[in-house]
Amino acid sequence: MSHNSKKLLYSVIGFLVVAGVVFGLYTYAGQEAFIRTTLSGLTLGSLFFLVAAGLTLIFGLMDVLNFAHGSMFMIGAYTGWQFYTNPTFIFGVLPLVLAFATTVMLIPVIKPRLVRLDLSEAWQKRLPILTYIAALLVAVLALVKFDILGLAKTAMVAVTTTSSNPLAELSPQEPLLRFLLRLLLLMLSGAFIAVGLSKPGNRTEVSAPEPLKKRLILPVVLFVLTIIFTLVRESASEGVLLMNGNLRFALAIIAATLFGFLLGALIEITMIRPLYVRSFFIVLMTLGMSFVMRELVQVLWDPLAYQMVRPPLFAQPGRATTIAEWLMNGSSTISIAGVTFPTYRLFVILLGVVMFVFVTLLMNRSRLGMIIRAGVQDPQMVEALGINVKRVFTLVFALGVALASLGGIGAAPFLPVQPMMGDQYQMQGFITVVIGGMGSYVGAFVGAMILGMARAFGDYFALKLQLSPTIAEASTVIIMIIVLILRPQGLFGKKD
Amino acid sequence: MMETTDSNRNLLSVEEIDTYIGQFHILEGVSVDVAKGSITVLLGRNGAGKTTTLKTIMGLTPPRNGRVIFDGQEIQGKQAFKIANFGIGYVPENRAVFRALTVMENLKLAERKKGDLDRHADFIFELFPDLERLSKLKGNHLSGGQQQMLAVARALVPDNKLLLIDEPSEGLAPILIQQMMEAIRKLRETTTILLVEQNFIMASQLAERYVIIDDGKSVHRGLMSDLVQNQDLIHQYLGASIQAPISTSEVQ
Repeated sequence: MSHNSKKLLYSVIGFLVVAGVVFGLYTYAGQEAFIRTTLSGLTLGSLFFLVAAGLTLIFGLMDVLNFAHGSMFMIGAYTGWQFYTNPTFIFGVLPLVLAFATTVMLIPVIKPRLVRLDLSEAWQKRLPILTYIAALLVAVLALVKFDILGLAKTAMVAVTTTSSNPLAELSPQEPLLRFLLRLLLLMLSGAFIAVGLSKPGNRTEVSAPEPLKKRLILPVVLFVLTIIFTLVRESASEGVLLMNGNLRFALAIIAATLFGFLLGALIEITMIRPLYVRSFFIVLMTLGMSFVMRELVQVLWDPLAYQMVRPPLFAQPGRATTIAEWLMNGSSTISIAGVTFPTYRLFVILLGVVMFVFVTLLMNRSRLGMIIRAGVQDPQMVEALGINVKRVFTLVFALGVALASLGGIGAAPFLPVQPMMGDQYQMQGFITVVIGGMGSYVGAFVGAMILGMARAFGDYFALKLQLSPTIAEASTVIIMIIVLILRPQGLFGKKD
Repeated sequence: MMETTDSNRNLLSVEEIDTYIGQFHILEGVSVDVAKGSITVLLGRNGAGKTTTLKTIMGLTPPRNGRVIFDGQEIQGKQAFKIANFGIGYVPENRAVFRALTVMENLKLAERKKGDLDRHADFIFELFPDLERLSKLKGNHLSGGQQQMLAVARALVPDNKLLLIDEPSEGLAPILIQQMMEAIRKLRETTTILLVEQNFIMASQLAERYVIIDDGKSVHRGLMSDLVQNQDLIHQYLGASIQAPISTSEVQ
């Protein structure tokens, strides 16, 4: 049988099976329960997709199993929740990070000069270590008595009080002068890091060929941002809190996604890149990192669960009958074919679909997507064409983390925000990737929807037939086992 | 001044490179010179180190010692993508055509500047008319010969000064070998080529100069016209792995 007719046969069988299952469920459950459960399944599926899309892209291109993906989902939720509820912490810490980054990013500027230094080989090894130690000491000095826990607690206070004035919980930041001193010290610390990373005296290091002006752009931009965010430390929080709630929520989504992207890039460059040659260590490293992130979050915000307030568009009591009515009144529920369903969950479904379209366009229409599809097969050949594959790895990892982070903030308004919230999604994400096929984003989408449905209908049957609710969780693993038996490479998998 | 004229004539000089793969010492002091505007062929038995030499030049298996000078600059130890951007195109032996990409996308991917493909499309499709017809087909649907042509075509998309071509005739039907030879001959008019070729007939007809690599060392070099006369040398180093060179003189 030829390749194409085989493909057609499988598609027909697949379609018949799906249609049969859908029809069976529909007649068994009845219209109302069917629609309600399907929508719940799509909501879960959307979140699973946001986690699995990153996992599968990262695995497909770099063969990296990211065990910290669930923690990044959780970090995204915390970032968005902080931004939405009380951004004092974010705006208090941001200038410090920016100041540090400003001088670290000076590397391309100072490197060409430093590598030309006359240093003995012993000093070439010793000097970076010394600068790192100096950087650490200065950084510690910079953060002496910095009340980071106090800043972190601000959002917690906001949750427990029910004042109608959104500014009531704003706590003042520390005096500007002392803060400036911290900034200067952090810039010094960053400069030490930059010197160490430039490998002074190492002439084999290639100097940057770009003109000085181009190399200065990033540090200058960061420096300007540092100044701006230092000046608006307090007013920015106020401004954000006085904003329209929907706009604030949109900004929270952007902030969480952007933070995920930058965090992903940072992690890839500093911790994963040196380990590509020993890929097993990456598993251990990411696993360890997930514990570190969870503990850090627990230190900052205590091991509690928070409920993020839904944005106004989804919060007014009442049931809308049409989408227009919902958008006008901001009703919390909407009636779909006679079924009452929370509007926020519709938004989550939309988020998942939009991101699927985005990833599809990215993979098929952009040069980056072309590079990724080629790199999955043979990264060395892609590099031999003159493409900086390392940078593409960083981008894809950052993109994957950004998607997980987006999933986190998407989930925050209807899931409790707590340090373990990502674990379940990571597990389901991995199962999704196995079902859909490693490296296939289409597989991730289909797999996520199958799993979401399995969870939702599992819950439905458990309730109706008075079975244990764990049957819903078990169902996803059972599906995975069936897929692995029938098609070990996953539904859309090509890699063996 | 001697040196300047030398580097002017040689687009690529590989000087005494040592390459290790893991603990294995694959190349032991290999030296290769490639004159500007010429075709130089690396000859030798299977496993002698010809492919590794190309990979070392390309930066895919960086050398531990020795220098690689391309167009007056030392390029050894640089990352492969930077070396490629100096103007070196690489056609690997396994025809690493990207299977998930269409023929057109494979070519597009090789662009270094916007518009590279547009500028060279006519030339490429004149050399390999099949590719234009197949442009929407994915790499995994191409035959071996079509893949080989795509792999060569891909190296022609950007403005490359040097092409490293590894076994272009491997596994091709005779008629396709002929077509490939025609293509490479036409390429010589515009670029410089370092070729690895097991098919001695093809190699002897295309190349002006040769370097024999044996057991990781460059043992012999010179003009192709001298080598075809020297049956002993051919026998000693190339042995049974190549076809007899008799037909060369007949063709010429």
